[in-house]
Amino acid sequence: MANDKLQIKKLYAVSSDNRKYSFSLPLKHSIRIGKRNYEVQLKQDEKYGTYILWKNRKYPVEIVRSRQNKYEILFNDISYTFSVETPFSLQRMKVLSKQKGKAEKEFVKAPMPGKIIDVLVREGSQVLRGEPVVILEAMKMQNEIQSPVNGHIIKVSAKPNTNVMKDDILVEIKVD
Amino acid sequence: MIKRILIANRGEIAIRIMKTARKMGIETVAVRTAVEPNAMYLSLADVIFDNTDDATDIPVFLNIDKLIEIALKTNADAVHPGYGFLAENAYFADKCLDNKIEFIGPSPDAIYKMGNKTIARKIALASNIPMALGHEGNVSNEEEAVKIAEKIGYPVIIKAASGGGGRGMRIVRKSEDMEKMFIIASKEAEKAFNDPSVFIEKYIENPKHIEFQILGDKKGNIIHLGERECSIQRKHQKLLEEAPSGALDDKLRKEMGKIAIQIAQAVNYYSAGTVEFLLDSEKKFYFMEMNTRIQVEHPVTEIITGIDLIEQQIRIANGEELKLTQKDVKLEGWAIECRINAEDVQAGFAPDPGKIEKLSMPDDHYVRVDTGIQAGSAIVASYDSMIAKLIVKGKDRKDALLNCKKALDKVWIKGTKTTLPFFRMLVRHPKFQSGNFTTAFIEKDLEQYHYNSEYEEMLAAWLATKLFIEENLTEESINIDFRKSRDISPWLLNKRMNQF
Repeated sequence: MANDKLQIKKLYAVSSDNRKYSFSLPLKHSIRIGKRNYEVQLKQDEKYGTYILWKNRKYPVEIVRSRQNKYEILFNDISYTFSVETPFSLQRMKVLSKQKGKAEKEFVKAPMPGKIIDVLVREGSQVLRGEPVVILEAMKMQNEIQSPVNGHIIKVSAKPNTNVMKDDILVEIKVD
Repeated sequence: MIKRILIANRGEIAIRIMKTARKMGIETVAVRTAVEPNAMYLSLADVIFDNTDDATDIPVFLNIDKLIEIALKTNADAVHPGYGFLAENAYFADKCLDNKIEFIGPSPDAIYKMGNKTIARKIALASNIPMALGHEGNVSNEEEAVKIAEKIGYPVIIKAASGGGGRGMRIVRKSEDMEKMFIIASKEAEKAFNDPSVFIEKYIENPKHIEFQILGDKKGNIIHLGERECSIQRKHQKLLEEAPSGALDDKLRKEMGKIAIQIAQAVNYYSAGTVEFLLDSEKKFYFMEMNTRIQVEHPVTEIITGIDLIEQQIRIANGEELKLTQKDVKLEGWAIECRINAEDVQAGFAPDPGKIEKLSMPDDHYVRVDTGIQAGSAIVASYDSMIAKLIVKGKDRKDALLNCKKALDKVWIKGTKTTLPFFRMLVRHPKFQSGNFTTAFIEKDLEQYHYNSEYEEMLAAWLATKLFIEENLTEESINIDFRKSRDISPWLLNKRMNQF
């Protein structure tokens, strides 16, 4: 049956530097460390807002953004980006990355000091070579900073209305 | 006698000044602005001047004529400028005095002389103050810069004459780079300080930044309140300060303190001020500059000396003589200040303005919090990104560090990204713990700017997976249904709606 094919037993959260965390379904509200299970609770109250309670400690959590299966989570004030994959989509990812060989990182740097006028991409965006990623204003001229490769954005450091120095990293691209 | 002070500032420093004024039975006037009409500092003022209908382009805290007008209208007999804005503007101080309003700070003459770094250099030279090798006066062009640098020897540093805060500053290591760096520094200086003039000094490699707190009265008595260690900085922006410094023993403290007082004497300094030095690995020190204002990091000195610096400033402005002598100043214990800013540590400390949704600070006996922000406050792009100063004390450095670590884990801020992960990393870093670090620490010794304990990423992954399930999988089964999002949690829904 077609329906059976869609039965999912596991999900994977893949971090931006490709660490995989697997969770069986239905999702348990506990995490196993060594031989013990520790309860995880997602809670919310007036004083703390949303938080995770784990091992008797509260950790502040926040969804910075979510888009399709991509999530940026602020956990204890640190940002993590994951794509959540099913076994099928994970398999597809593997095949795709194998076909294209080992992916490498490319840093797009500011070619000159200036002010960021606009950031045209977000974490996770696909970009093609020559596609503008950032508009940088320097010496009263607006310059399009282009992607040197085909790939997808893994980190956006440039922020609109901030000044950058020469060679400051604007975005990081994982080469496809 | 000062009866009513106009606070020409906002945020935590406005509150800090108002607290002392209240203690002394002095009234305060605060200015309500359109940018933050409900800011926390307004709640502590005795009088609020409403300036929300101001249509001029410049912020009121930079508008000299407007501030004088407000002081006169509200019958304030003194102005406290705080730090930043007009705190080191000699013309503003002068204008206040012209209008018979006491300026709580040094004389316009001292502000002017120390504010102009080339003049300050000349004064220091004339008083035999140890300084980095340099050229007297401003450097007019790239060719001259190259010549001077050859004479001094690379590396050199170009600095803005009217500068401060790291702007208009460039380190040059070889003559090929000089032309380019000279132009950048000069342009930056012009933009930031409305004055393109720069000068050149020998660059001291890997120094410690040590500054001395000075107090002087109008009768010519000047004392120092010990040093602050401010070597933890990024791009010349201080992030954490402590007092005292582990790098100084009593002998060196005495020697540097004496020189600091000498500099202050050279400009007949009164009020609170700070003399900044660089200390090299051989414990040789060099005068860098004098800041003629109360500083952000003043609380660490207050904690180890027990002296209220704002109170001293007000008393000095009143013409009172210092009751303290150098002998009365005792340094006790250790204090550390963390500047918790709305910045994204993982994105090069980029400002992350936004609304603070939740804020809870520790209230242990070893903690002092100076803040102008509460839950519901906004961190606005037009001002600085400070949320709070977390100031922690201990009986010695080790104890203070331990308390700092505990306190950092109790700070709870939601709404923007903050520099908390940076401090949590720092207090665990062996080199920082050893005290053996320089101003190059952040640039050279750190691989990661934040700290996360084991399992934190895994817990975040669990949350991402939970959200994915709530958004994409149907209730009873675990079949993917990308079209329906029936199971979306009210929390997530809320979050989404707030985004628009």
